[in-house]
Amino acid sequence: MSVSSQQAERRLRQPPPGRQPMFHRIFRADPATVRAALLFLRERFDGSAGDEVIAKLELALAEVLNNICEHGTRNEAERLAGRPHAPLIHLCVARHVGGIACAVTDDGRPLPLSCLDARDLPWTGPPPRDAEAILLLPEGGFGWFLIQELTASLSYFREGRRNFLAFIVPVTEPLLQAGPPPGDT
Amino acid sequence: MQLTLLPQPDGLTIRVDEKRLDAAIATAFKDRVRSMIAGGGAQVTLDLGGVEFMDSSGLGAVIAIYKAMPAGRRLTLTGLTPNVERVFQLTRMDTVLTIRKTAETTETRQKKPER
Repeated sequence: MSVSSQQAERRLRQPPPGRQPMFHRIFRADPATVRAALLFLRERFDGSAGDEVIAKLELALAEVLNNICEHGTRNEAERLAGRPHAPLIHLCVARHVGGIACAVTDDGRPLPLSCLDARDLPWTGPPPRDAEAILLLPEGGFGWFLIQELTASLSYFREGRRNFLAFIVPVTEPLLQAGPPPGDT
Repeated sequence: MQLTLLPQPDGLTIRVDEKRLDAAIATAFKDRVRSMIAGGGAQVTLDLGGVEFMDSSGLGAVIAIYKAMPAGRRLTLTGLTPNVERVFQLTRMDTVLTIRKTAETTETRQKKPER
């Protein structure tokens, strides 16, 4: 692909001047499709809020989507030969005043409600010094802690065969077109 | 998976030439680094300077590498970019793992202050 057509394509993926970015994508749960969706998301939302906010958005969504890949797969009914069914994810993200709103739905196994309970870090305490204590360090269990830490207004319901999860990644700065350009005082 | 092994006088440095340390590569990353550590000296440095994004599966892989360090070997992390450093800080794993600040990351942070 030529450089100019790459640039044209990139321009098409970004919101028109003066508009806020939105994003919608449907994909099968898999670490590779999750990575592709997040890369596309970053391209579209870069510049619509501070770098730190976009990084938090990307991290929160990565944790949610990884969980669906890891825990959502269920087996089909026996008439469908009981094959594993990787969930089909619908992801919708929109920049609003006050935050970036995310809605994630999937047709995987129900989300255990305990995931939404307020939680502590899987590990707190003084740094372990001896080999035995080091072996007790957790290698997982950080995902829902991070999601809760990075998001607000987290809500969930299950309807029919789908999980619906919605949350906001808060933004304190005004919408970009509302104020003077960055660096202008 | 791109990893570069750089021998050092007192051990070895493994430079991670991947922009994303995520669920797509976490397990392979852990296995590769662990096999690279098997040879070499006491000091093992994991250079994460090229990593722009890390999620909790990448973090879990780094912790697994730390836990599997052979007796008498030390693991040091270096070159943390702001997004990677945030994951270590939020999970408090920055208090457990040895993280060496480099001049390069300080410079990057000065150029791009967090808002």
